[in-house]
Amino acid sequence: MSEVKMVGLTIDGRTVRAAEGTNVLQAAEQAGISIPHFCYHPAFEAEGNCRLCLVEIEGLPKLDLACSTVVREGMIVRTSTAPVLEARKDVLEFLLAEHPLDCPICDKAGECKLQDYYDRHGLFPGWFLEAKEKRQKKISIGKGLLLDRERCILCTRCVRYLRKVTGTGELGVFERGVRAEVGTYDDAPIDNNYSGNLVDICPVGAITDTDFRFKTRAWFLEKRPTVCPRCSRGCAVIVESVSGYPLEEGERRVFRIRAGENPAVNGYWICDFGRAGRRDIDEGRQERVIKSASPESELSWQKALADVMARIRSVPGPERAAKVAVILNSRMTREELTLAKRLFAEGLSLDKIFFADPKPGAADGFLLTEERVPNARGVLQAGFSPRLPDLDALAASVEVLLVFGSHLLDHFSEEAVSRALAKIPSKFLFSAHTGPLDRLAEIVFPLAVSAEKSGTYINIDGLRQSFGRAAEPAPGVVSEHEILGCLAAGLGLNVGEHDVR
Amino acid sequence: MLKGWLVLRELLRGAAITGRHFFANMTFHTLKLFGIRAKRRGAVTIQYPEERKALSPRHRSLHRLRAREDGKPSCVACMLCVTVCPSECLSVEAAEDDDPEIQKTPARFVVDLNRCCFCGFCVEACPVDAIRMDTGEIRLAASTRAGLEISLDKR
Repeated sequence: MSEVKMVGLTIDGRTVRAAEGTNVLQAAEQAGISIPHFCYHPAFEAEGNCRLCLVEIEGLPKLDLACSTVVREGMIVRTSTAPVLEARKDVLEFLLAEHPLDCPICDKAGECKLQDYYDRHGLFPGWFLEAKEKRQKKISIGKGLLLDRERCILCTRCVRYLRKVTGTGELGVFERGVRAEVGTYDDAPIDNNYSGNLVDICPVGAITDTDFRFKTRAWFLEKRPTVCPRCSRGCAVIVESVSGYPLEEGERRVFRIRAGENPAVNGYWICDFGRAGRRDIDEGRQERVIKSASPESELSWQKALADVMARIRSVPGPERAAKVAVILNSRMTREELTLAKRLFAEGLSLDKIFFADPKPGAADGFLLTEERVPNARGVLQAGFSPRLPDLDALAASVEVLLVFGSHLLDHFSEEAVSRALAKIPSKFLFSAHTGPLDRLAEIVFPLAVSAEKSGTYINIDGLRQSFGRAAEPAPGVVSEHEILGCLAAGLGLNVGEHDVR
Repeated sequence: MLKGWLVLRELLRGAAITGRHFFANMTFHTLKLFGIRAKRRGAVTIQYPEERKALSPRHRSLHRLRAREDGKPSCVACMLCVTVCPSECLSVEAAEDDDPEIQKTPARFVVDLNRCCFCGFCVEACPVDAIRMDTGEIRLAASTRAGLEISLDKR
């Protein structure tokens, strides 16, 4: 990094040092001065078509664009003088002259840049008497994407994204002047695994997501960052959920997952597969402890866990290695895996520790990897050597079986699993989602999904990423960390420090 | 003894107030009877359930959703009323409308009168003037809680 030449300039009277080659807009942002912009996105080269980032640069006769002016030594930039403010107002007025102002029905309202900038830099009364241009308001342009041409401000971020990032180039700007509009070529729909990012980068509500459409309003959403658990890339994502009013009983809590920023992993993008991960948080969840032998409906997990401990204790110590088996998975966090290692391998000295993970899928060459688990490196670092169980051998010798996750069915048929489990006297399932394994287990515990836990994942490149809880779990839902900690305490085993990272 | 006197004194004071109101009102009613105009009118009792006093034009009563010309609710389910509601009594669910000019329409619009405090903020917040509190219905009792949850789009 030392060979990067730094340039000194003055922005709004503040001395700023920026790397050579950065533009004025970026340099100002690094100094904490925000210059409004629509078309500029740090992932692309500056295009300069929205004209909103005009600033005053000393020595130049007219206002110049902050996004396409490269910093020079000794440059003096002013971002909030009267001519600049006036120019911003005028640009906004031009954009709003053709904007439909249907904010009440627009999903972007509340996080729309045009709304925000009008509020901050505009606040002029509208005095256009002419009727606004009528355009198509609802065009399907591909996988779950809707285009509204009236709302579009032609910043061409979407066009540039599809050309530069995915390289598919499905969108283009057609016609000229007032008739200019964004569209697909020959109506061929946008079909790539990264199309959801278009919704994120559209500064207005021109491109919206059908999955989020009309479900809630942006200002109700609570945004919390986490790491995507759907493949081993470990992209930064933001989980947006509603926890209280106006949420109704049984309504979906997580309304969408959006790309977070992490230059070391995913830049600004996530794949649609990861975006669809919101379904994992809300749909098909295990809601309460189910004990097949007992009709008690309000059984707490602590009480049910006492049964598990009693069954483990009933197996004499020396026989445990042969008669107690555990099936873990690589979705568990690094902390949980260490705890599992100390509890099962060291504390109970079990031999039969297996892993059942989802089957690998196809990598797409950009972000999505083959492994569909987030923490395969963490499993190795925790000292496990993951292997699949042999069902027949398991059925022959094991008396107590603890299964974490329901991915056994990815590798064996339901029939084979149920045949093997029928021979095992006690089997306990710890699972976040309902599935066919539920009826085979003696007790089913509802687990938290990764967005509801805090922990650490180690991604495919060995990068260690810690994350906090991004969505509140339903009452009664527990994490593996709590289950394992409780088991260890109940069995009188020392698992060391609480922080087992 | 002293206590007895105090009670009697208060009783007499009360009787004096009642008497004063009675004779004052009777005087004003009598003056009116003979067509003599006085500054004040005599007090009138309205026999409430049988007789009703006219509501002020700026009163706030049960909410209603205004309809478009074709009978659809003019509400666009923007949820600004839901956002502004201080007693969190509104629940609105949006649905897709086939008309691309409308697009968004309420699938469900429920006001929970158990919680509503009749502040009228929802009326103020509405960008399309769809919700109003001018039905004149102020007798809003129900024998169950569910009976006070009123679907405005179904009325």
